[in-house]
Amino acid sequence: MDWILKLVNIGKEFVFHHQQGTRLVVIENFSMDFSSGETAVLSGPSGSGKSTLLRMIYASYKTEKGHIFIKHHGKQVDVATAAPALIYNIRQDTIGYVSQFLRVVPRVSALDTVIEPLIARNMEENLAMEKGEQMLERLNIPQNLWHLSATTFSGGEQQRINIARGFIAPYPVLLLDEPTASLDAKNRTVVMELIQEAQKQGSCIISIFHDKYDQQMIAGRIIDMSEQLRKEA
Amino acid sequence: MTGMPDKNNLPLLKVQNLSKFFGKHIGCYDINFELSPGEVIGVVGESGSGKSTLLNCIAGKTQPTNGAVFFNSSDGYIDLCMSDEAQLRKISRTQTGFVTQNSRDGLRMGISAGGNIGERLMANGMRNYSQIRKIALKWLETVEIDPARIDDLPETFSGGMQQRLQIAANLVTEPKIMLMDEPTSGLDVSVQARLIDVLRKLVSRLNLSMVLVTHDLAVARLMCHRLYVMKNGKIIESGLSDQILDDPRKPYTQLLVSSVLKP
Repeated sequence: MDWILKLVNIGKEFVFHHQQGTRLVVIENFSMDFSSGETAVLSGPSGSGKSTLLRMIYASYKTEKGHIFIKHHGKQVDVATAAPALIYNIRQDTIGYVSQFLRVVPRVSALDTVIEPLIARNMEENLAMEKGEQMLERLNIPQNLWHLSATTFSGGEQQRINIARGFIAPYPVLLLDEPTASLDAKNRTVVMELIQEAQKQGSCIISIFHDKYDQQMIAGRIIDMSEQLRKEA
Repeated sequence: MTGMPDKNNLPLLKVQNLSKFFGKHIGCYDINFELSPGEVIGVVGESGSGKSTLLNCIAGKTQPTNGAVFFNSSDGYIDLCMSDEAQLRKISRTQTGFVTQNSRDGLRMGISAGGNIGERLMANGMRNYSQIRKIALKWLETVEIDPARIDDLPETFSGGMQQRLQIAANLVTEPKIMLMDEPTSGLDVSVQARLIDVLRKLVSRLNLSMVLVTHDLAVARLMCHRLYVMKNGKIIESGLSDQILDDPRKPYTQLLVSSVLKP
């Protein structure tokens, strides 16, 4: 099948200069193709490089070995070597990323935080607000919080703001790093529905879930990362 | 920082092989970078690393020993280091803004807040007093200073208000670039948050470009698309802000990032 994301021989090593120059090889010679409309779950113990892999795809970690090819606006580009301006463009339109933690900007309301990806794509503000409100309602965020900054929200509320922001605009590739870690059963179900809807719309979803039940709910393909277990070089 | 720098346009600024020596001492050495319209870049590093020297060279306040700073003005690219006084003055009044760390250096303390904002407009030939006052009121509102304070001297303002007034006085002619030296340091956190919010909005609304010198990595992450790390006058690492902060590779950058409480 045609790929949307293609990892070719990627490797990642961390060197800690101030800790006796310790070198950690986290990912070595890893290759894999992903296609549109598929769900894949990265599985393996802590330290097997699951989050590192997602961060390399999103380019918040630099990829020094190998290639991360992605189809962006119909063209093949390599995230590993793309210029910063292109990375911003890829993050705006092609790759979405939801981590466990919301990076809160003080004084920006929860609603504005959620609709930012739509505004970046030039959606008209009223329409974006409407979509944002629907999403917040769906994730059971009380209406009296919508116009407050998320700085003072609880962990679970912040996580739901982060999810709302991650799913508000469709992305061809969506990376999820334990998005449900501190959610109750009701909100977990909502997240599962959002994932299924994104998949039906053709997104390729690569995720990390520690909960076995969650893993089974969405997978797709289970990718065992345990062979990548961290080695000291 | 989200939003996409406009990559279809030519770079607004091209800094090439820029060096500044103070006698034998290196201020900054062989600096090269480009800045696109709508892009915010941050220069981080410890004090004495040459951040402010670099910014002063770009702003035309310090003559570099070597190198060039090409600015894409309305008349095409011009080298700010080779321009004469009159040309520089024209550009610094209309197309660039410079915000200093100490707002007292960037403001005229003896004239009113409105006067500080209006001065740049008058220098550009605007003579209609009521129009100038109207624009000044609008900018006071934009930077969240009570418009009723328009006739007060900056002397009577708090440090945070002075800093916001300095920013307003620079932005009034809608420059293409703002050069800022530690604009939020020394302000209490609530004022800092407000200033960051104001600046972020201006970047997206006016497609403003910025070179921001800061030692605050949290501010750098929130504001900047790209970061340059300086040490001993040289750029030692550069890249996407989150790559530099989450995956620092040079020993000094690792030290810098690991020394602060969660940026």
